Amino acid sequence: MSNILYFMMQFITILLIAPLVNGIIGKVKALTQKRRGAPLLQMYFDLYKQCRKSAVVSETSSWIFKAAPYIVFSSAAAAALLVPATTLLAPEGFAGDIILMVYLLALGRFFMTLAGLDTGSTFGGMGSSREAMISSLMEPSILVSVFTLGLVAGTTSVFGIMHAMNRLAVPLAQPVFILIALSILIIIIAETSRIPVDDPATHLELTMVHEAMILEYSGRHLALMELGASIKQLVFITLLVNIFLPLDQFITLTGVAAIAVSLLLYLIKVVFVAVIIAIIEVGTVKFRFFSVPNLAALSFILAFIGFLQYFVLGR
Amino acid sequence: MEGYNEILSVLILLTSFVLMANKRVKSYIRTFRLQSALIALTAGIMGIRSVINEGSYDVLVICIIIVVLKVIYIPNLLHKTFASVEYKVEKDFYFNIPLLILICCGLVVFTYFSISRVAGISEGEINSAVVNSVSLVLIGLFFMICRKKAIGQIVGFLVIENGLFVTAMFSTNGMPFIVDMGIFIDIITAVLIMGIIVFKINDEFDSIDINKLKNLRG
Amino acid sequence: MLLWILLIIAVPTFALLKDRKALHTVSVGISVLLLLIAGFETRNVILNGTVEYDALGGIFFLDALSIIILDLVLIIGLMAAVFSTGYLNEELRHGKIEPGRLKLYYILMYTFMFTMVFALTVRNMGIMWIAIEATTLASAFLVGFYNDKRAIEATWKYVIICSVGIAIAMLGIIFLHLSSVGLFKGPQLLDWTVLYGNAAALKSPVLRLAFIFILIGFGTKAGLAPMHTWLPDAHSQAPSPISALLSGVLLNSAMYAIIRTVSIVNKNLGSSLFTGRILMAIGLLSIATAAVFIITQKDYKRLLAYSSIEHMGIIAFAIGIFSPAAVFAAIFHMINHSFTKSMLFFTSGNILQKYGTREISKVQGLLKILPVSGTVFFLGLFAIAGTPPFSVFASEFNIIAAVFERGNFLLGALFTLLLAIVFAGIALTLFGIFYLKGNQEVHKQDSAQITDKGEGSPMPDIGALPEKGEMSKSGVAVIVVLLAVIAIMGVYMPSPLKDLIISAQQIITGV
Repeated sequence: MSNILYFMMQFITILLIAPLVNGIIGKVKALTQKRRGAPLLQMYFDLYKQCRKSAVVSETSSWIFKAAPYIVFSSAAAAALLVPATTLLAPEGFAGDIILMVYLLALGRFFMTLAGLDTGSTFGGMGSSREAMISSLMEPSILVSVFTLGLVAGTTSVFGIMHAMNRLAVPLAQPVFILIALSILIIIIAETSRIPVDDPATHLELTMVHEAMILEYSGRHLALMELGASIKQLVFITLLVNIFLPLDQFITLTGVAAIAVSLLLYLIKVVFVAVIIAIIEVGTVKFRFFSVPNLAALSFILAFIGFLQYFVLGR
Repeated sequence: MEGYNEILSVLILLTSFVLMANKRVKSYIRTFRLQSALIALTAGIMGIRSVINEGSYDVLVICIIIVVLKVIYIPNLLHKTFASVEYKVEKDFYFNIPLLILICCGLVVFTYFSISRVAGISEGEINSAVVNSVSLVLIGLFFMICRKKAIGQIVGFLVIENGLFVTAMFSTNGMPFIVDMGIFIDIITAVLIMGIIVFKINDEFDSIDINKLKNLRG
Repeated sequence: MLLWILLIIAVPTFALLKDRKALHTVSVGISVLLLLIAGFETRNVILNGTVEYDALGGIFFLDALSIIILDLVLIIGLMAAVFSTGYLNEELRHGKIEPGRLKLYYILMYTFMFTMVFALTVRNMGIMWIAIEATTLASAFLVGFYNDKRAIEATWKYVIICSVGIAIAMLGIIFLHLSSVGLFKGPQLLDWTVLYGNAAALKSPVLRLAFIFILIGFGTKAGLAPMHTWLPDAHSQAPSPISALLSGVLLNSAMYAIIRTVSIVNKNLGSSLFTGRILMAIGLLSIATAAVFIITQKDYKRLLAYSSIEHMGIIAFAIGIFSPAAVFAAIFHMINHSFTKSMLFFTSGNILQKYGTREISKVQGLLKILPVSGTVFFLGLFAIAGTPPFSVFASEFNIIAAVFERGNFLLGALFTLLLAIVFAGIALTLFGIFYLKGNQEVHKQDSAQITDKGEGSPMPDIGALPEKGEMSKSGVAVIVVLLAVIAIMGVYMPSPLKDLIISAQQIITGV
């Protein structure tokens, strides 16, 4: 029973909040540029509109093209189920594994790149090759940070890690967590096609990565793709905020009220991170594509030194 | 605030990585300034603690000297030196940045394994801070090796000095006061002299690329 | 104590003086005074064992070991001061340097002297570090005194490599400090007399680490391979009196710091096995490196510089053996090397001014052109290579004897072999300059070939031999005095000196 409740809650929360993050980032960016910008809920409207339109599918494409949006969306959603928005509502029996989460997201990405190649258009292929490069560059740092977290908490279960963090009063006061948090922040930026790596707002052919891959999509397929991407983004943000900024241990209430407060806090944290991401996006320019390895190296170093600090401290 | 020195040591180490990833002379002078500021912060915290615990103002004085010297004066001096030699945008390093950063990472690992084998350092909590600061020395050395411009070498030298200072602070709560003062006087003189030689190199060789210093061999 | 005061007064005095003659006179005068004070202190050391004053927190300290090196500094300093008068007059006459720079030369030279004296007379390792770093800074512009491309390059290398080396020595001193944390307080911190006295209480593992860093750091300054790369450049580009100071005394000052550390570490570890292995390896490597470069050398000042590396290697090797006989020989060798090498550098200054080139192949008929300098150079080369009548032979022989005494036959054989190679190298490369080659060859030489923009005056007609005659009286006097000293020391050692060296050796080895 509790499991069903958990999955329901988790699914609905993530599904509702994910597009909002995009909205917030867009709004903050617009405000810093002295524009009013699109409304916060713009992405919901877009999704709604796209779902009502019919999807156009290229004649030359295979089944992968049609299957990819569903796979991308469902893998992202499955990953989202493994990363609880609140630690107060625990699933029984099955506690999501953080490595499984990483590879569920990788599965979605794999199909997205395949789909980009599938239509045979130049842009799609270009986007796919770039995406493959970025993801292979980011893979080491994701794994090192994830392993370090696992080592520190003594478990690879996302839930277990979050619980372990709850027990530490302020994780960010320890060097290892500062480093891992920074590393994951860079990973978020790279994985979710944010500015120093990729520009989500561009349709300039030379610089597109994510947009290039989904260029051929339309209608409900596009909606699923975009929703999948934004869920993925939220999954990483959730990981960041719930591991490094745990607040649940301060909640003294019980029952439904506690969960509600916890979710509210979670929402505030997500908004906070979204604003930070937006500020980073505003404050930087897009890198040349061949500078991306530098960023990846930096992220890797952060994670690795974090690992080393943990190792040295012997805790 | 028990673990503050570990956090600060990590942050200082991070600035050295950022320094390694910087391409332009101006940006690494800026990063050096940041690093020195962090060191000054560390010294400040330690100074306040020593004022409270032992009533001695030595470390606090040193903190003020760092702020004046390393955060304000030397970076400005370097900027001025760099501004007055002819500016050329050229590739300043031999390998690409990710490789450099990975090598630095290797240096940290190396330091960890070599220091951790020395009993007497690995006891107690100062341990990771010492590892970080000794790796800062090594990274400074490596920075000197991999930069072509004379100013890069000066910055590398200063990073080594920073590393030494931090090592002294984290491992032994600072050297005797007079020694610290002497070190500062030496550093400022060294940087001034190096600055003058940079001017001379620029006059004679029309560039501050030290790869052109190849006359004396064998 | 007076030494410091005098030197501190001396530096601004030069700034005030304008006249060339006055500068020269004051310089020689101060050097003589310094030497007198040092003689007085030496007497005190011989009588009392140590000299200490309470002023300035009691950091002033002298014992047999430091007084020997201090005397060396001041004697060579006096020689350099006397030699400089003739040398600089000559340079001024040829317009190689402007009259105004004479003042700068003396100010820097005496600052340099001051830093070295300072390094040798303090008891605190940290302050000694500061002084040794200051020697680099003070001598930087002396190395680059001629301000041409090569000199600046040499200066840059000198400053950067030595500063970094010294920074690593600082890391070593920090670890030394760390090994003693909690044992001492206040002014006792880093005081090497206290460290040595309580050596057994220090933490050995940290101390080992400290030793390695200090050896690398001060070894850079002492010119031990593989950290020697600055040395040939700096020595060959500096004005000759400065080369003599660098080689004759600066290297010794750095070596002094290493010796102090070695004695602390060995006392702590209870054996010389750890330091001995490292020192012997580095020593042999230095000798081998020097041997290779000496054989292929084309520049006689660089050759002398490599020979300095070789001799520092020999001293390190001897310290590595660490038996009383070897340490005695090492200190004696230090003295001999200082005298011989500074003499050779002074002589090379004469040659350089006469011929205007540093290249071996362009110097010939030395014995004929410069009768006195030529003879001294000739004998000096024999001396530095280790031939019997001279004192270098005596100390080298003692070292070899000490190795075999310890039963390290393989090392001893290797050591002797390397010395033989160096000897052959010096003979092969340099002895050609003493005689005239065929006259034809002389005329064939095209003046356009000479591109060396170094110190010394470029000769107007390079194809022909320069005219006969010595350059200056002071230049000749200095080298003849030094030659006499090394020749006498080779056969007879005055007993006060012997006692002094023995007590220095006891300070180092503890027995």
